[in-house]
Amino acid sequence: MSEIIPEGSSAVTIVLDVPDWPRHHPGQHVDVRLTAEDGYQAQRSYSIASAPEDPRLELTVERLEDGEVSPYLAGELRAGDELELRGPVGGHFTWETTDGGPLLLVAGGSGLVPLMAMLRHRAAQASAVDARLLVSARTWDDVLYRAELGGLADVRVHVTLTRAQPPDWGGSARRVDADMLRELGPPAEQAPRVFVCGPTAFVERAADLLVELGHAPSAIRAERFGPTGA
Amino acid sequence: MADAARWLDGNAVAGVLAEAFGEEMTAVERACDGCGAERPLGAYRAYLGAGVVLRCPACGATGLRIVALEDRISLSWSGGRAP
Repeated sequence: MSEIIPEGSSAVTIVLDVPDWPRHHPGQHVDVRLTAEDGYQAQRSYSIASAPEDPRLELTVERLEDGEVSPYLAGELRAGDELELRGPVGGHFTWETTDGGPLLLVAGGSGLVPLMAMLRHRAAQASAVDARLLVSARTWDDVLYRAELGGLADVRVHVTLTRAQPPDWGGSARRVDADMLRELGPPAEQAPRVFVCGPTAFVERAADLLVELGHAPSAIRAERFGPTGA
Repeated sequence: MADAARWLDGNAVAGVLAEAFGEEMTAVERACDGCGAERPLGAYRAYLGAGVVLRCPACGATGLRIVALEDRISLSWSGGRAP
């Protein structure tokens, strides 16, 4: 572990130097295993935030107050510490520039992490694939990679803040709905590749709305996260 | 919603699947023997408990059970056919 970058008040990006890391696909994750001194082991899956072109591996971890692993990763871990990783894993929720577009990414909270890997990959490849991103978060402080999102010149980004908004807020201030998705586009007729990632309830809602808007269920790939011991 | 909170996508257990099968499995399509829906394992519903149960996202039929025992991984497929 070489560096920790705070992301708002409740998440951190962990930067790792992994010897012999095989190139990952944007959207994949790794399983992180922690072993306590008494031998007790806990394992969690974390999405990879960095592009495959990035020589270092980045994971962004949201601190769950009652979590078993995330408080350690987001609070106790120090540069130089070692982590046990398995991965990269996953082949269903992935996108490469060669897969083409258009691309519609819908993120709830820290569900932005694997989608950011896709956008970073797109930027690294100087891809002109039409890409749109919808980010839903409770407050501005909960929006990951804020500065970087602002710099995504050729990606249409829309942010909605569901709980509190800063003064002069120019984005939306409600839960994701059909109007928001329709306005962001691209329309279903363009058959975008859709990736939705977030907490279970968020993903359910967003996926239902997308189907109502005419997107083929098979074009919508979802990644829900929740409490998991797997 | 109470039910929705109990499961994740098959993506979430990609690591467990890779360990069990020796290769990436979430993009592998499976045809459900209950309803015939052809979906990749990454889109299956993963119920996590003492082990992992993957259920067809269309009809809920059990597709695969994985239990990690101390010295081995136990897998059981329920029906299914190549799509």
